[in-house]
Amino acid sequence: MRTLKTNSRTTFFTLIFLPAIVVVLFLTVYPVLNTIILAFFKYNYLSDERAFIGIRNFLTIGKDTVFQSALLNTILFATVATISEVLLGILLALMFYGEFPGKRPIMITVIFPMMVSTMVICAVWKVLYHYDIGLFNYILRTLGLKPIGWLIDQNKALLSIILVDIWQWTPFAFLVMQAGLSSIPKEVFEASSIDGAGYYRNLFLITLPILSNQILLVVMLRTIDTFRIFGKVYALTQGGPGNSTETISYYIYREGFSYFNLGRASASALYALVIISLIAVFYIKGIMKEEN
Amino acid sequence: MVGSVMSRKSFFFWVLMILVLVVVLFPLYWILITALKTPLENISPIPTFFPRKITLMNFAGVITGGFFRNLVNSLFVAFTSTLFSLVLAFFASYALVRYKFPFKINIIFLIWVLVVKILPPMVLSIPLYTLFTKVKLINNLWGLILVNQVYTLPYCIWMLFGFMKGMPIEFEQAAEIDGASKMKTVTNVVIPLSSSGIVATAIFSIIIAWDEFLFALLFIRTPRLQTLPLKIVSFITEYETLWGELMAIGLLATLPVLLFSGYYYKRLTEGFSLGLK
Repeated sequence: MRTLKTNSRTTFFTLIFLPAIVVVLFLTVYPVLNTIILAFFKYNYLSDERAFIGIRNFLTIGKDTVFQSALLNTILFATVATISEVLLGILLALMFYGEFPGKRPIMITVIFPMMVSTMVICAVWKVLYHYDIGLFNYILRTLGLKPIGWLIDQNKALLSIILVDIWQWTPFAFLVMQAGLSSIPKEVFEASSIDGAGYYRNLFLITLPILSNQILLVVMLRTIDTFRIFGKVYALTQGGPGNSTETISYYIYREGFSYFNLGRASASALYALVIISLIAVFYIKGIMKEEN
Repeated sequence: MVGSVMSRKSFFFWVLMILVLVVVLFPLYWILITALKTPLENISPIPTFFPRKITLMNFAGVITGGFFRNLVNSLFVAFTSTLFSLVLAFFASYALVRYKFPFKINIIFLIWVLVVKILPPMVLSIPLYTLFTKVKLINNLWGLILVNQVYTLPYCIWMLFGFMKGMPIEFEQAAEIDGASKMKTVTNVVIPLSSSGIVATAIFSIIIAWDEFLFALLFIRTPRLQTLPLKIVSFITEYETLWGELMAIGLLATLPVLLFSGYYYKRLTEGFSLGLK
């Protein structure tokens, strides 16, 4: 009787667990294995010619200066965006510490940017950045300054896209930091009360170690998210001007979906996979530690 | 002491606060007024901070231009993707919380799901694209819903798992003693107990699917099936952009999400350790 009952328990839980396993395996294990195999082939999707060429894809891509700059751009994007968002998030959280009239509605307003659809955000920034009709250049001209090619100058375009990311995701960093701060007793801050700017500087220095968990969480999440950056680049610059805003995801996209070189696209995807797995190890370790 | 903290918040504080609010709200304000300006005013090299003539023609143009078709596509994809993920994730999380599978399957599965969350979706897109072409799931909203599981499923699993971990087992045991079947216990006891978690997970998942762009770009080919992000991008990348109509779409696509912001804020400030990782 008892074994019958445990058996039915096992069957029940296995049955309800299986669908999720099947979908996860189908959407990930199959594509990853397929990518690994394709990376060793010269395979053009349109002409359907397929030939085994060993590691040649990896070698040519490794030497491709466009790929190198895509990698560099991605790292630059992830670093600058993440650090700025974390710092601004902490500063905002400090500013919002304590009570003041209208705190709740103001905070809800401040998180608007992270709720608006990314493509809507890209649309409005594209107008604001516009060389001829954009507001930013209008202001510069009115001040007697030279207009800037926000999205059309090779040296500025990537930074302009990063700025959009910072605008969109600083509220997220702010929310995490502020949740961390609100768990700290007030006395900690009052002990440091001196005048004016010194007060804020002290707060900042005191808070950094207290917020270390929150900082780590935001750094991880924003690094993972910015490393895959694609949509903003597609909408704002399409990788240009030149290849100055091309990122890893965009490179894979071009190889795969513009040139239909599935072999090269797979090989570059594997490069991305190796890099992201280095980040992933830290991330997973951190989360599993918290789980236990 | 409290007084001195409050007085510090007086002048300097409010100047900063207004600055922050301007930075946050200005682009949103720009969406609104651009949507209300005439096409001519929108391409003037001297941008106006308030429309010279308020017009609803952009909204009319968007609505007659098939906006509702895209809206329905987006709603359908966001809700169905979420429903699909929720059902799978709910049962999987329940099994993970209440049953210890052999060979450490529980922990391996959870880690694997995290790996999926970390993978850049572009890496998965090429094999999925060739496979979906073979089985005729390209240019098909059901295909998009299936591939959206890459985003929504890991998210729902981790979030629901977090909620259900803390669920007391006594109610289920009581139901079992009363002779309820396993499935009845789930519907009568487990679902009501985790309902607030399910609602929160659903809302976040809908927002993720609503915002999804990459897979929609790759897997949807005809304008009739475009979701809103695709529609918006096709506007942005056009040579002569109709800024007013673009912002009208943006505004219409944004308002429903902003209605959730109060709830969103509450959830985010309450449960950070839950699903956000």
